Amino acid sequence: MAEYRVIGKDLPRKDSIEKVTGKALYSFDVSLPDMLYAKILRSVYSHARIVNIDTSEAEKLPGVKAVITGKETWGIRFGFVDTPRYPADQPVMAEDKVCYIGESVAAVAAIDEDTANEALDLIEIEYEPIPAVFDPEEAMNEGAPQIHGEQVPAPGRKCAWQDWGVARAARSFNPVNNIGAAVNIGYGDTEKGFAEADYIREDTFVIPRTNHTCMEPHGAVANYNPFTGYLDIWLSHMGYEVKRYWISKTLGIPIGKIRGHKVFVGGAFGGKAQAFDYEIIAALLSRKTGRPVKLFLARDEVFTSTNNSVALKINVKKGVKKDGTIMAQHVKLIGDMGAYRGSVPVCLFLCHSMRDAIYNIPNLTHEGVGAYTNKSTTMSKRGHGSQQMTTAIEAQMDWIAEDLGLDPAEFRLKNLRNKGDILPNRDRLNSYGLPDCIKKVVEASKWKEKRGQLGPGRGIGLAVSSMFNGSGYWPFTCASIIKMNHDGTVTLYNAQVEFGQGPTTTMCQLVAEELGLEVEDVNLVDGDSELCPVDYNNWLSGGMFVSCKSALRAAQDLKQQLLKVAAEMLEEDAEALQVMGRRVYIKSDLQEVVTFDEILRYSIQKHDGDPLIGKGFNKAVPEIEFYPSLSKGSGRWTDAYSFTAAVAEVSVDEETGRTKVDHIWVADDCGREINTAICQGQLQGQSVMGIGDALFEEVMFSEGRTVNANFVDYEIPRALDVSQITTIDASDPDPNGPFGAKEIGECARAAVIGSIVNAVYDATKVNVKSLPLHPEKIFRGLREKTN
Amino acid sequence: MREFEYLRVNTVKEACSLLSEHKEEAKILAGGQSLLTLLKMNILSPSYLIDIKFIPELNYMDFDDKDGLRMGALTNHRTVEKSPLLKEKFPVLPETELVVASVQTRNWGTIGGTLVHADPIGDMAPPLIVLDSRVKLVSSGGERTIPLTELFVDFFMTVIEEDEILHEIQIPPLPPRTGVAYQKFSTIEAGIKIAGAAVLVKLEDGVCKDAKIALSAVASVPMRSIGAEGILKGKPINDKLIEQAAQMASTEADPVTDMHATDEYRRELVKVLVRRATKMALERAKAAKS
Amino acid sequence: MERKLIKVRVNGEPHELWIKPNITLVDLLRNELGLTGTKIGCISNSCGACTVIMDGMAIKSCSILAMQADGKEVLTVEGLAQDGTLHPLQQSFIDHAAFQCGFCTPGKLMSAKALLDENSNPTEEELRRDMEGNLCRCTGYVKYIEAIMDIAQHPGKYSAKEG
Repeated sequence: MAEYRVIGKDLPRKDSIEKVTGKALYSFDVSLPDMLYAKILRSVYSHARIVNIDTSEAEKLPGVKAVITGKETWGIRFGFVDTPRYPADQPVMAEDKVCYIGESVAAVAAIDEDTANEALDLIEIEYEPIPAVFDPEEAMNEGAPQIHGEQVPAPGRKCAWQDWGVARAARSFNPVNNIGAAVNIGYGDTEKGFAEADYIREDTFVIPRTNHTCMEPHGAVANYNPFTGYLDIWLSHMGYEVKRYWISKTLGIPIGKIRGHKVFVGGAFGGKAQAFDYEIIAALLSRKTGRPVKLFLARDEVFTSTNNSVALKINVKKGVKKDGTIMAQHVKLIGDMGAYRGSVPVCLFLCHSMRDAIYNIPNLTHEGVGAYTNKSTTMSKRGHGSQQMTTAIEAQMDWIAEDLGLDPAEFRLKNLRNKGDILPNRDRLNSYGLPDCIKKVVEASKWKEKRGQLGPGRGIGLAVSSMFNGSGYWPFTCASIIKMNHDGTVTLYNAQVEFGQGPTTTMCQLVAEELGLEVEDVNLVDGDSELCPVDYNNWLSGGMFVSCKSALRAAQDLKQQLLKVAAEMLEEDAEALQVMGRRVYIKSDLQEVVTFDEILRYSIQKHDGDPLIGKGFNKAVPEIEFYPSLSKGSGRWTDAYSFTAAVAEVSVDEETGRTKVDHIWVADDCGREINTAICQGQLQGQSVMGIGDALFEEVMFSEGRTVNANFVDYEIPRALDVSQITTIDASDPDPNGPFGAKEIGECARAAVIGSIVNAVYDATKVNVKSLPLHPEKIFRGLREKTN
Repeated sequence: MREFEYLRVNTVKEACSLLSEHKEEAKILAGGQSLLTLLKMNILSPSYLIDIKFIPELNYMDFDDKDGLRMGALTNHRTVEKSPLLKEKFPVLPETELVVASVQTRNWGTIGGTLVHADPIGDMAPPLIVLDSRVKLVSSGGERTIPLTELFVDFFMTVIEEDEILHEIQIPPLPPRTGVAYQKFSTIEAGIKIAGAAVLVKLEDGVCKDAKIALSAVASVPMRSIGAEGILKGKPINDKLIEQAAQMASTEADPVTDMHATDEYRRELVKVLVRRATKMALERAKAAKS
Repeated sequence: MERKLIKVRVNGEPHELWIKPNITLVDLLRNELGLTGTKIGCISNSCGACTVIMDGMAIKSCSILAMQADGKEVLTVEGLAQDGTLHPLQQSFIDHAAFQCGFCTPGKLMSAKALLDENSNPTEEELRRDMEGNLCRCTGYVKYIEAIMDIAQHPGKYSAKEG
């Protein structure tokens, strides 16, 4: 076991002082001179033609500086997915019709929020409602209202992939029967596999939408300088490169003139990754008025008009041998896309690829469609398909084990892949801590002894999940620069975004370890597109494995330069030298030393002014360009997988069906814990988020209207809803990770949800095939069993 | 929030006078823990906001053994929660306050404001009802005192006239050998209440001399379950009787189906909560002083 | 709309402000006084991110009319540290890594301070119940509870003076 100085310690977070003193600046706090406040008028119909919009009265209201509608943005399309196959389908504001309640129809910029809101009331819109459809299966039936016509790219318009270098032109797409996305992944021969199975089980699960409920609402501040053409943006986001790209593409502002500023972000969880209509609207209003514009959404708008996690109907058919060997699996998905494609084509792919590292299934078919419905869009949420699939697969694993009289833990262990395996898509499992995760969590929780033995209304359950570590997406690289300072400290420039997950601390730890420094000696300039090199930031689960690794590489580069110069100064070989405490020593003679600042001064004087700047960069998967095929699932897509095994112990009040989670154990393979306190915090946060997903979170609709768009009716766990949480480090260092580290922010949530679902089954023996396990659902299940 | 004229008053008389003058164009502001949300969302837009929060004569708590408790409408929830007097005389009230909203809301929100808001899911009304509470309403023209049960008319509607304000809550002294309990159901601990039940049991010679049962969140107002009370009264309470009373309360309830629960499930919860609250009240009655 | 005068002490500093009556206390703190440490996370009086201490009580500043702060003493997160020294709760939060995104942290600190000022040695259950009004999505309600309990159980841990 390697011993490190600063790696693996729970050192204080570098953003501590700002956050505990209230000085941390979020976009929500940004205030600029002469700033205007913008509000959006939203559709009250789920499907309607816009016959007329009259903004004249609103424009006359004193204090109103600009009013815009879809007329200004007509024909502009954007979207998380904009590929040759799937053209971007989302307008900035509704044009000739609205497709969901909450869609942006008009926007006002005024001297204060009250005036902006008053102006919204003065905008007259004449709608002609048309038939709407809310259920994806109904939407796919013949005769259902067609939400979109053929999606034809505007003449000359390149899709995003083309802009990013894929030499394939965009095609038009016809969403026949409202189908807007499809996936069909397979290997082996599932028909043969099922024929060879001794036992086949098929179950269908329904996973609803949930919301991220980040504490900072969504919003943006945009400041366009009409004289220079520069646009400054402060976003509540997960990475500004995607935003810069889309603001550039939709508004024609050169990307080099769009600056994303450093801000702290009040939570993201995947819900702030894509470019949003309100960001483009804020930039447009700023350009139109020549003044800064602040546009923040109220909490109900965050629920209705940003995005929710993807709702899926998941049919799983599995064929196994009597001894538990899995022979075949066939999964069919129906995704509820909402009014625009969102990230559903990606999610359908991820539902397979997030979990393919877990079980060795020789014959597999994974097919799915996403259907348009007249509801808001859906996107990633902390796992992006992993949570939904894990619920279904892991519940069914337990039921199959029960049907065959197998131990569920042994059943899982038996079918795991092995370290070093090459997956069907040719990803390689260079690290694979999952068996250890399972063993450790089973031991810590005493799962074997407790299963079925805890008494009436009490149960214990186990589930596993996995997660990727970055993949190819714009801008396809993460890069870092480190400069030497004259006091022997260094400054790291890296664009990662701090939304709680800790990169501002962990990347400094990596650099400090490599350069023999204390973490305090590593200054950080982060999160700013002008000051930092390019980075795809923090929504692709690559913050640690890809971006922090670029910081480590920059440190390695700088170290090499330091040692080379020191070697020259000390007349030694560089291999004979080491770094420690802002100095370089000869390993064999600790008396002979030069300080970092002496080296810097020497280099500047003797090497033509060379100030010693380290550079590092990294792609998610070095060998691939661009992407795997989303629809066929072929091609490498990530260079490492993280793993979690979780156990939950629950008590179910059999008179009411209400479940209380008593204890969660979560064993996680994150390669190496760089900062133990931050890692524990990620696992604890995911565990509690999982309690919400499993037991009560659901975005509810009535005829397309979000009925629980607030924190009263959409309940998330609070301080008394939390069980004991035991976190266990079961890391298997990855040879390609920085000091072996992999991600820890997204994997555990799915395993915890699955473990709670399985624990409730152990307690009640009620087969619930939908989330959440709301008390009434369990109550009815128990009642049916008694009758 | 839309604009309004802000009027702070220091006496009940002033408040009533302004209400008489402005009638339906005015709204009373006490703690505002329910009202502010409605104002911010422009669901309510009064032309006049009469701030009574700091009227000294509405903030008091007096008890005597003959008349019982007289509590000013502006007594805030946190005071009720922490009051040694209430912990001694009517312990169910401080106990119930622990599940009302959050500490921050309880620090500023008032008991009067909550009752006037008339949300049928409110936790404080059922225990106050079974304690036989009365409320005094005053206007420029006079005053009237009515049983608390008669205050509520419908969802968020009371009998309070345009020119009246709630002045005082009165609770008669708790008789000897009496126990009171409140049980609520919410999915998360501090979540929205799906059903609630308060039960008062008074024992005499081993028999239930008096029983009161009040339910929240299962009708348009907090309601008494008279039939269920009748099942308990005059008999020695045993499990079977409790079960019958719980069943009757479930039948008498008039719940709706909404996004949180079906009416059928709410009726099932009433059974469970009445059963549990009755058992608890019975134990407390047995332990109480003669 | 006619502006009205209010006098309020915030973090020990007296202020006389002419404000529109239809603003909340959090608007006054953030917009009139530039104290953006106090946050707004919802519009339904549910999340507690706006918690400050007024006359010794933790209150949600988004649901109190600013006019009701007239004559009162308000303490925000910016007023916790004194003369360059962090309040013990702030230091404990750092030592326990008790925050992640930090958006709810000011509200939590103020709730915790008000609670400990009133009850210096709560049980964990009492603490959790009293923190119910502060929503958090990042931490899972573990480390900051540990941070507050640490102060409760070791009151002299960081400094002789506690604010």
